[in-house]
Formats: sequence, C-alpha cells, structure tokens
Amino acid sequence: METYFLKNEDLLKFYERIAQGYELYVPTRVKSPIKKDECACKSDLPTDDFLLRKFSQIGKEEIVFGDYRAVEPTRAFFTHYKEEVCEYFEGNDVREKKERPLALCGIKNCDLFSLKVQDFVFLGGNEADPLYKKRRDDALIIAGDCPYFKEVCFCRAFDINPYPTEGFDFNLSPLNNGYLLDVASQKAKIIVLSLKKLLIPATLGQLSGRGAKRESVNMRMDAHLVPHKIPKKEVLQDIVLAGYNSGVWVDEMRTCVECNGCVFMCDTCHCFLLSDDTSSGNARKLRLWDGCLLKNFTKVAGGANPLRLRYMRLRNRYLKKFDFFVENLGFQACCGCGRCIEVCPGKIDIRRILRRLNEEKHIPTG
Amino acid sequence: MKKNIYQPVKAVIEEIIEETATIKTFRIRPEVEFSFATGQFIEVTVPGVGEAPFTPSSDPGVKDRLDLTIMKAGEVTSKLHSMGKGGLLGIRGPYGKGYPLDQFKGKDILIVGGGVGLAPLRSLLFSLFSGLDQYNKVVLRYGARSPADIVYKALLPEWAKQDKVDLLTSVDVGDAGWQGNVGLVTTILGAAPVDFASAIGIVCGPPIMMKFVTLKLLDLGFKPCDIYLSMEKSMSCGLGKCGHCRIGKYYACKDGPVFTYEQLKDIHDIWD
Repeated sequence: METYFLKNEDLLKFYERIAQGYELYVPTRVKSPIKKDECACKSDLPTDDFLLRKFSQIGKEEIVFGDYRAVEPTRAFFTHYKEEVCEYFEGNDVREKKERPLALCGIKNCDLFSLKVQDFVFLGGNEADPLYKKRRDDALIIAGDCPYFKEVCFCRAFDINPYPTEGFDFNLSPLNNGYLLDVASQKAKIIVLSLKKLLIPATLGQLSGRGAKRESVNMRMDAHLVPHKIPKKEVLQDIVLAGYNSGVWVDEMRTCVECNGCVFMCDTCHCFLLSDDTSSGNARKLRLWDGCLLKNFTKVAGGANPLRLRYMRLRNRYLKKFDFFVENLGFQACCGCGRCIEVCPGKIDIRRILRRLNEEKHIPTG
Repeated sequence: MKKNIYQPVKAVIEEIIEETATIKTFRIRPEVEFSFATGQFIEVTVPGVGEAPFTPSSDPGVKDRLDLTIMKAGEVTSKLHSMGKGGLLGIRGPYGKGYPLDQFKGKDILIVGGGVGLAPLRSLLFSLFSGLDQYNKVVLRYGARSPADIVYKALLPEWAKQDKVDLLTSVDVGDAGWQGNVGLVTTILGAAPVDFASAIGIVCGPPIMMKFVTLKLLDLGFKPCDIYLSMEKSMSCGLGKCGHCRIGKYYACKDGPVFTYEQLKDIHDIWD
C-alpha cells in the first residue's frame, strides 16, 4: 500500500478531484447541546456529531475531518430505507437506475467492519442483490482514523481498532498540518495519478508518528472500556446461548418503547421486507428496512408469532448477532459503534447486556 | 438481460378447485417453463397486494403448470381466494432445498400430514409414485379437523389403490357419514406398517401437530436424522437475505424449508 502526505490546504483539491467522478459525501459537524460526556473512566469525551452530506450541496467551510463515525449507519448508502427493487408485468423488467457512483468520506473502521456483514448478506448466498452490488462495486471508500471516540464507542472491546487497515480505497490519518493518505485499491491508484503534484511520499518519521497517535487512542479507549467489563468476542456466542433462559432479557426490555431505533441505526442489521405497491401506476416491489424488535417481524398469516413478547425479540436480536453470524460468517454482527446505545430512549445498553450475560454464565448466583 | 432476483414471472390462473370451505387449489400456468424439486417453495405475488411463500402441490415432473393448494389465512391469501380463472399472479423461485429422494431409496416411508400440510406432501407423493419401485413402501397418515376439512378428497382413494401404498385418514371430530378413524393423527402412527428403526418419517402440518408427531415418531424408534420436517416460517425474500425466517444458525428459506429433526433438535422453541 502506498502512503502519501497531503497538506491541509490541499484536502479540498483532493475532494474536488474525487467529486468529478463521484457523488461525494463528506463529514460535517453537528454541534451537540451537551457540553461534555462524563463516563465511568472520568475522562471528558467529545459529544458533537458528524453527518455525511453531499459535497456538491454544502459550503466548503462546513467540511470537517470526522473525529469518529458519523451518526447515520454506512449501510444507509447501499440499501435505502425504502426503495423500489423491481417493477413487474409492465415496463422494463429490470430497472436500471442511473445513479452516480458514491464516494464516501469519513468512513471509520467500525463502519468497514459492518460492511463485511452487509456484503455477506447482499453479495453472498445463492444470488447477489443487484442494486447493492452495483452501488458497492462502483463506490469509492475514503476511510479515516478516529483521533477521538465517543462515550458509546466500544470497538476495541471486540478487537476492532479505531483506525482502518483494510477494506477501503483511501484512508486519511490526520498528522501535524495535514493527512497521511493510504492508497489501497486500483481505483484509488488511478485517481492518485492525477494528483501527484499534491502528494509527497510519506516519510518513515510520519508513519511512526501516525503509529504513536493510533496507539494513544487505543490506550485511551481501553482505559475508558475497563469499567464496562465487556466480554471478549470469543465468548459472545457462548454467553448468548447459555443465557437463553436468563432474566436479563425481560429485565432489560422494561424500558423499551419499541421504536426500533437500535435496529435502524445499527450498521450490521440488514433485515428487510418486500412490499407490493401500485400507488405509482405499475405494480412494483419495494424493499423496506425491517427490524426484529418490531412486533410483527415473525408473524405469519395465520396469526402465530414466534417472537410475540418483547424479551423474545431482544433475545432473538442477540442470537442473530452473536450466534447466527458467528456460526455462518465467522464473526459477530456488532462493530462496537455504539449507535444503538446513543439512539435508545430507554437507555438500553448492549455493553451492559453482554456484561450481565457474561457475569451470569461465569459467576452463578445461589 | 440482467437478472433481477426480486422480479416475478407472470402466471395465469387456469383452474380453481375448491378443496374445503377455506382451502382452494389454484392451477396456474407460468409464461415460461418453471421447474422445481419436490419440497422447494416459491414466492407468489398477488399484484399490488403482497407476496407469500407456498410449496407447490403438483407433480414436479410437470413443467408448464403448477398447482398451489392454499388456505385463506391472511391478506394475500384472502385476495387470492377472491380471484377467478384468468387472474394474474407473479411467481419467483424455486427456493430452498427439497426432499432428498435419493436417501429414501429402498426404505419404508411414513408420511404424516395435517390439514393443508398435505399440499407439499402431495407433490412429494407424485414424485414417489413416479418411481415406486425404488422405495420399499409408502405409508400416508393424514389428519384433518373434520371430514369437511379433508383436502384432495377425490385423489386419496386413487392413491390408496396402488401397490406398496398404504393410506389412512383420521379426523379430530367425525360427522354422521364418517366411517374412518376419529382422533388426532398421532393415534394412528403406532400401527403404521413400517420398520420404525429404519424408516423415513416425513411430517408437514401445523406446528403443534408437527411437534407431537415428531415426539411420537421418536418414541416409536425413528432416528432424528430420518425425520424430515417442513419448517415454513415467515419468509419474505426467499433468498437468505431478509432475515425473517431464522431458525438457530439456519434460514428456513435457504437451508430448508425441509430440515431433519437432527438439524433442529438442539435449537430452542422450534415449534413456536
């Protein structure tokens, strides 16, 4: 992988070059009314949010380097909340949509981890999803290190680092008065050919400087995570299976208002429902995001509903993430981004649930 | 043309057979030849209303038409039941894994159906009948709530006439004209003329019936790996992507819908 140094003042030129061929999204800052997020480890953590917005539609002064993952899950760029997947009987058999290829800047390592889950679902299996495949094949991923993290971030608990090392086309690491730019893919290399004037090959000193910064974030996050006692990824499958009859599920769902926010904000969730629609004339199929915390997720026509109670639905979600995916994909469907914790009005916290299940399994009471 | 995995092909309703007050068999003709293996299912689109999964009840050897035996239960099936000859449907598939007929060769086969659960089994029976020499014996035990709820009334006596085929129907509640067995289908399994230790058991019906039939078969000496269950969950995409039909580490649409009890026995709440 080639690595270059890009000066601060040249970042915009880099973006402009990308925007020539792509619909570029870049991070912008959303100020938080909360001044500081104090946590159990007693460090003050940043509270602002980052939102990915269209480069072509914002003032250039609004563009920032996202310090950590954006509010919205990355999957929202590849499968939309509600979209047509085909028209049938009339019109074109295949709706070839004219979409500009996406370039996503501000993608973090947790997001890249989640994309592996989405790829498994939508590209794998017997047949690939054509819409997803087109978007994914065409997309340019401009990832970035996380120089900071939020209170809810816990990627390191699952051995996912707050800086990407694979799965991107470009990666930006802030360093001194600029960025180190990793160029990983053929697509990225071609773009770099026209940017040679802006790029200086990174020095060993710069690379080791980046290494030190990364290590520093690792250490701060590890200290932050200590009080949470989140179980290691290797035991997740065991504890959710062993905890099948645990009271934790019922207990934790007492404050759930069934908004399904955790599912919709989750970057590894992927469930959807096909729906038929004739409102626009021709019959068409829509693909709608669905979620297993919604009451009717598994309800069948006759009325039976295997997941009729809330605690069953929570348990199902954890079994899917930590049993089904571990079994079928080899790793858990949770990247530690903490979006589900942040969105939950009932303060249901995946870190706490996993810790409780782990403690129940290993420290039996009575 | 690039294939769109969600795109249904057109199929026209050619004939409708009223099986019971709530069950009809729709004979449909797809606009292109359509093949399936017995036990596989298809997604049927009622245009503008929705889509639902069904296992065809016809002979897989017939490529230009399909029979779908469907109980009126929800929105899609209610609309379907109101449709007449010439009605337009969409179909996608086939999906999932069917019955592994090769593994049934030379064996006694005990097929246990409940209610409309006889629909997928009818397709299996047609497949077995077309090569009866290869199997030792085909025994069908069918349970319905009442004589009026029995499907394929005209076909059952025809099937029973064949050598190697043994058929018995039981109803939960009889009526004045009913001369057959009265009782749950589990009550007529013990006397089935099969070698329980080596026979294949195939079960399809409502979850509660499948549960008790499976327990009964185990009790009679069937091996968990020889009991085949049709686990038809809420299946939206049929492609192993939408996430609705998970059973433990499996998806019913991709890894099933036919599973052996051996595959499922350690998974919680499979009968819910």
